[in-house]
Amino acid sequence: MSKKVEVKEGILSKNQQIADNLRSLFKDKNVFVINFVSSPGSGKTSILEKILPQLKEQFKIFVIEGDLQTENDAERIRKTGVDAYQITTNGACHLEAAWVEKVISDLNLDEIDIIIIENVGNLVCPSSFDLGEDLKLVVVSTTEGEDKPIKYPSMMRVSSAFVLNKIDLVPYLNFDVEKCINYARAVNNNLIFFKISCYSGEGLEDLKNWIAQKTYEKIGR
Amino acid sequence: MHEASIAQSLLDIVIETAQKNNALKINAVNLIIGKLSAVDTDALKTAYDVLKEDTIASESILNIKLIDIKGECLDCGFVSMYDTYYFKCKQCSSYNVIILEGEELSIQDIEVE
Repeated sequence: MSKKVEVKEGILSKNQQIADNLRSLFKDKNVFVINFVSSPGSGKTSILEKILPQLKEQFKIFVIEGDLQTENDAERIRKTGVDAYQITTNGACHLEAAWVEKVISDLNLDEIDIIIIENVGNLVCPSSFDLGEDLKLVVVSTTEGEDKPIKYPSMMRVSSAFVLNKIDLVPYLNFDVEKCINYARAVNNNLIFFKISCYSGEGLEDLKNWIAQKTYEKIGR
Repeated sequence: MHEASIAQSLLDIVIETAQKNNALKINAVNLIIGKLSAVDTDALKTAYDVLKEDTIASESILNIKLIDIKGECLDCGFVSMYDTYYFKCKQCSSYNVIILEGEELSIQDIEVE
């Protein structure tokens, strides 16, 4: 005889549980955690290379890099003088909370103000997996096309900040900046926008200041 | 393609729930998935069918109830369904729209024996 058993649980509740534990640990330890998400090649690592040298003067920072293969991005981060750990997922298209938990277990969180997680380059899958972060920051670059926000709405929904990178290339592209931002706003009206270029340096100061401000709001000094 | 991870998480939860209820076999798993949840249901079914082999869920069917996107404008109060991922109020054109339904990713119940 078949019977029904109520479950009423999130499909990803196991990941969520670990993420919730991480979030309360980060709260206890006064660590601000930001999760960088984007498609591959939009410039997440380049942005970090540009803003970390200044941010590290104000805060103690640790970076967790996620890629399918290679140690390349962690090495790029270390060259800025910031410590980094590379997670190689061996094919997995996103980071999960359990992997972050494993990295964190080897860190002394009392010595860290900011953890930046650079997720695997992918505008879909990382949106489903909470890593215990305070906020997600999505990067879209002008070479990707202005309709990315409505093509990948889930990522826009879970993000707090929208960084439009490679703004210096706009004169050479068929890319309508305002249209792109309006698309993003229509998917998530709470997004904060930054227009930046790692090449010309435009907008980087604003982005760095915002991260600093968000960190102060959490760690309170 | 994070559907394999999602399918594994799903399978772990339903097997655990079935065992807690002293069930020997899972016949069906009923899910609720919102259209905004970034899950491809065909890929999820395929992954689930591969992963369920040699478990008490090996003969189970995955039933998925898809939830349409419903939004409410916080400026004028207009509630509407959205077919596109562009949540601009259809009455007053405001972007101040909150999503009421469409982001679900949950297990409603399972059928066991």
